[in-house]
Amino acid sequence: MGEVIAIRQLRISSRATMATAALLAPILLFMGTCFILPLVELLRLSFTGGRGPLWAYREIAESEVYRRVFVNTLLLALNVAIIASLLAYPTAYMLSRLRGWTLSFAFWCLLFPLWISVLVRTFAWILLLERNGPVNRTLSAVGIIDQPLSMLFNSTGVYIGMVHVLLPYALLPIYTAMRNVDDRLLQASDGLGAAPLQTFLRVYLPLTLPGVAAGFLLVFLLALGFFVTPMMLGGMQNLTVAMLIDLFVTERLVWPLAAAASFWLLLIVLLLIASAGRFLNLTQTVAAR
Amino acid sequence: MTEKSRVLSTIAGSIVLAFLVLPIFAVVPASFNHASFIRIPPEAMSLRWYEVFLNDSEWWKALLASFRVGLLATTISVVLGTAAAIGLERVTPRIRAILLGVVLSPLIVPVIMTSIALYYIMRPLGLHGTIFGLAIGHSLLALPFVVVNVGISLRSIDPNCTRAAEGLGASPLRVFRTVTLPLILPGLAGGSAFAFITSFDEVVVSIFLAGVQAKTLPVKIWEAIRVEFTPVTAVASTVLLAITLLLFFGVKVAGRRLASESAPHGR
Amino acid sequence: MDAEPRPLSFRKVTKSFGTVRALKPVSLQVDSGEFVTLLGPSGSGKTTLLNIAAGFLPSDSGALFIGDINVTELPARKRNIGMVFQSYALFPHLSVFENVAYGLRVRGLPRADISRRVTETLLMVQLDGYGPRRIGQLSGGQQQRVALARAMVIEPAVLLMDEPLGALDRQLRKHVQLEIRRLHRKLGRTTLYVTHDQEEALVMSDRIGVMRDGRIEQIGTPDDLYRRPVNAFVASFLGESNLLRGRVVQCGGTEASITVQELSVDVAGPCALGLSVGGEAAALIRPEAVTFDVETDVGLPARVVEVVYLGELLAVRFTLSSGQDFWCRCFSHAQVPAENREVRLRWRTEDVRILPLDMAGSEGDVTC
Repeated sequence: MGEVIAIRQLRISSRATMATAALLAPILLFMGTCFILPLVELLRLSFTGGRGPLWAYREIAESEVYRRVFVNTLLLALNVAIIASLLAYPTAYMLSRLRGWTLSFAFWCLLFPLWISVLVRTFAWILLLERNGPVNRTLSAVGIIDQPLSMLFNSTGVYIGMVHVLLPYALLPIYTAMRNVDDRLLQASDGLGAAPLQTFLRVYLPLTLPGVAAGFLLVFLLALGFFVTPMMLGGMQNLTVAMLIDLFVTERLVWPLAAAASFWLLLIVLLLIASAGRFLNLTQTVAAR
Repeated sequence: MTEKSRVLSTIAGSIVLAFLVLPIFAVVPASFNHASFIRIPPEAMSLRWYEVFLNDSEWWKALLASFRVGLLATTISVVLGTAAAIGLERVTPRIRAILLGVVLSPLIVPVIMTSIALYYIMRPLGLHGTIFGLAIGHSLLALPFVVVNVGISLRSIDPNCTRAAEGLGASPLRVFRTVTLPLILPGLAGGSAFAFITSFDEVVVSIFLAGVQAKTLPVKIWEAIRVEFTPVTAVASTVLLAITLLLFFGVKVAGRRLASESAPHGR
Repeated sequence: MDAEPRPLSFRKVTKSFGTVRALKPVSLQVDSGEFVTLLGPSGSGKTTLLNIAAGFLPSDSGALFIGDINVTELPARKRNIGMVFQSYALFPHLSVFENVAYGLRVRGLPRADISRRVTETLLMVQLDGYGPRRIGQLSGGQQQRVALARAMVIEPAVLLMDEPLGALDRQLRKHVQLEIRRLHRKLGRTTLYVTHDQEEALVMSDRIGVMRDGRIEQIGTPDDLYRRPVNAFVASFLGESNLLRGRVVQCGGTEASITVQELSVDVAGPCALGLSVGGEAAALIRPEAVTFDVETDVGLPARVVEVVYLGELLAVRFTLSSGQDFWCRCFSHAQVPAENREVRLRWRTEDVRILPLDMAGSEGDVTC
């Protein structure tokens, strides 16, 4: 009896399953051939190089120069994430208090840059931070500086540019967390006699911390892989991993190193995402306490 | 919170928002420079470099290439992405999570990595430096937007609507054409716009996959900046900015109109 | 058995969801032009049965016939059914006219015919002139009528309705119930209706099937079910009831008697099938059959708890010595009893019905 049921169900459901498979096959085929396959090929490349399968990986890990690039990139990403989060917090707070058309407008200001090509945004900073650019001219006109500041082709420009590009990513999660804070909790804290600072430190901050952590992580991860902005604003003085990979491919034509560096980067990204899963849960429990 | 903190945060927030938006527009006054170097604000203004842009076949070719790649990438993304979104609604949650992860993975993998991998594969295949090759690379980054947007639209449809159409005798294809498609149009339109803009603005993938024949506008701008730039680069950037803005607003307006037409049940 | 094929016939249909048996074998025949309601609590399987009839859910075993066609494995679109959903499921992007016309367009009718039939149907549901309106502009009740029109205009072999009035407020619901009944009387379309509202079932149905746990406990006319329920569940689901539980002491085919332990009293009366001496049973006494008296020693001792004014009726709640509630309904206002008054409750033996608690087997064992 069970067989009869199974057969009938199979007949009817197999029609449905075939339809579903037909719908999903194209994209999976596409991703398989145009994404997975090239990456697998890259992985294979990373094991070549003539001097043993892990040569390229070891070369990157052991060489002082390359290690430096990785460390610099991590530090850069870290600092950018910190600065972006610090700037994002009060801004998100302001946004969370807005309503109606002011909220819409503010949100537009936040989302609009994300639609604009990172190239245009970075180029705009080149124009602004030049020696003879408006920033320098205004500062010297006002009398703050005597000599024009060199903000390009050093870390200053890179920081400004990257914070500018990545700020919205830090802001959105914080804003969401802030919107979800129940006002009554704050009122309760006030009602219990806590000073505003205490309410902030003990109630508001912990509740919004998960959002901050999420935004921080997002900016950090994106910054790690940045290419255009550090290249255009920092030049060869400040190599990021992405720029290094580009060098390996376009100038030095050492594919194994390029591939190995890519997978080192990917490994760091994946480790961070994995540990973030745990970390974010930790923050929630800490915040709840 | 206290009044003081509110005022402080409003000031700080406004400065930050201004910092976010205003610098981008620096390319606009830069494009109106009359001289061959850029000064903001310009000493002398003219449309000289706009003329140069319009008359330079290299820039035109780049602009056209951007459009062609964008349209192709959008088409690929819309077709594959819509089918995928519909398919994803039919599978179990666990499979859906896995497949969605696969679709979203190009956004997690560092773009530089994807770019060089594609570059390596496409060269021997002769796809490097072609519109098609560029479109493939862009589609990888654009697909998630279509899948997610159409997915959201699909979930907002009363599931009994398609059943009702079925019960009234419509074949699956007819149900899709007459019921599903009109109702997911907002999501589809939004996803398409995102897909197109993603392609139009994409830099890193384009740098590695572009060739002499096929070079998108961002690539041309990139090259110009690295070598030596004149205000025409600012013109190109302004054009890029303007087109993106147009699409952005177009989507907003269209989205609002479509949403009001197919309003959900008033209950 | 019959020469004439029934418009809708379920034959031993089963359905399970994983380990949950949503439908134990269910057999049901709906006659031509009949309005049958499936009544039951949520989880009883009534919606599952309806969805199987529509073709949205495949059955595990058993057969389904619409007319003389075995539709068991036929997809929904080939079954010529008209379905009305609880959420109406109107097409939000189409006008009222286009919604109703949808099924006709699919069938490829000429434009003039479509126009005529849609206009006629809209008139029938009292929505004439509403053709060009958009769905979002309609009220809940109006949307419901469009859903009805859309299902009826295609003149289906069977009309299927899944709690279509669930989202309406009480007043409107009563009004639409009568509307649906009027339309049914006029058009005579075979209808299978699902609801959990017993009043609704009583108002509209030719026959009611009370369902529980995947089985039809009893099917019959409203009168059958009300006066002659086969077990305590059906009795309590339809209409107000007082049930005194006890053990069967005597059972003689048409009459039985039980002893109610906590009240130290025996209750006797006509009985249903499926009773056995020593087994558990319940005595059903409808509130309108109960009378109370203060000036007597005969009857069940009870104390007045509250008096509920229902317009022309009074509902009086008593509490028995066991703590159980007991209801009475009466017309008279003159004898409104005071609260906490001790009274005696009485009823005629023929108004009692001794019932088994459950159905024993699908046919009901007769052991007495």
